[in-house]
Amino acid sequence: MSRLLGWLAAAGLVAGLVMGFGVAPREVTQGNVQRIMYLHVPSVWVAYLAFAVVFVASIAYLAKRAEAADRIACASAEVGVLFTGVTIASGSIWGKPTWGTWWTWDARLTSVAILFVMYLGYLLLRGMIEDRERAARYSAVLGIIAALDLPLIHFSVYWWRTLHQPPSIMKPGAATMPPMILAALLVNFVAFTLLYAYFVLARVRLLRREQEAMA
Amino acid sequence: MPDNWGFVLAAYGLAAIVLGAYWRRLVRRGQS
Repeated sequence: MSRLLGWLAAAGLVAGLVMGFGVAPREVTQGNVQRIMYLHVPSVWVAYLAFAVVFVASIAYLAKRAEAADRIACASAEVGVLFTGVTIASGSIWGKPTWGTWWTWDARLTSVAILFVMYLGYLLLRGMIEDRERAARYSAVLGIIAALDLPLIHFSVYWWRTLHQPPSIMKPGAATMPPMILAALLVNFVAFTLLYAYFVLARVRLLRREQEAMA
Repeated sequence: MPDNWGFVLAAYGLAAIVLGAYWRRLVRRGQS
């Protein structure tokens, strides 16, 4: 199952590159630098998804004390931090030629940076506490609290005057982009979601093995 | 606006290195 998911993710990523660089047209205003979008937006989608999974798994852990839920939360947080890092780095690289700066303390960028730091703290907290049950309980609480930043990130572009543009697809109503650009973006969404699923599955399996070895 | 292919390459290259390294780490730890 895991191996199949890995191959599907790899095939999806290749398809995403073909769509993003071969099929989608050159954007009129920004030129080819806009193609960073096919990396940046799916990355932040996966980060949202990963931390939403942490939120649900953390609630499940606190309610039922199921170790499987804790393993899912831990794996998803790790993968989420990875993709948030990719989001911040790709956004910064995209920002330099389009905004004229690598970074600005804009509400969207700042709230994403806070998310990154909070889940880094989540992973550090897990690593610092030796007692497994206590580590799982404390990190579940942090996983729930940190997820409250997700709606703040999403709505920050509406609530504050920001340099970052409002969403083009993750919003009510039809997407505001040409069909081929949208198609390329959707293929990358699927590919990145498959990659997320593969990473989480593999990481959960490793955590289970490590816990069994320690027991 | 100029195409800025260097920025595109930097973004994709960095992502490939980070995600590839994590993938490799998972596979290696799974095998050991």
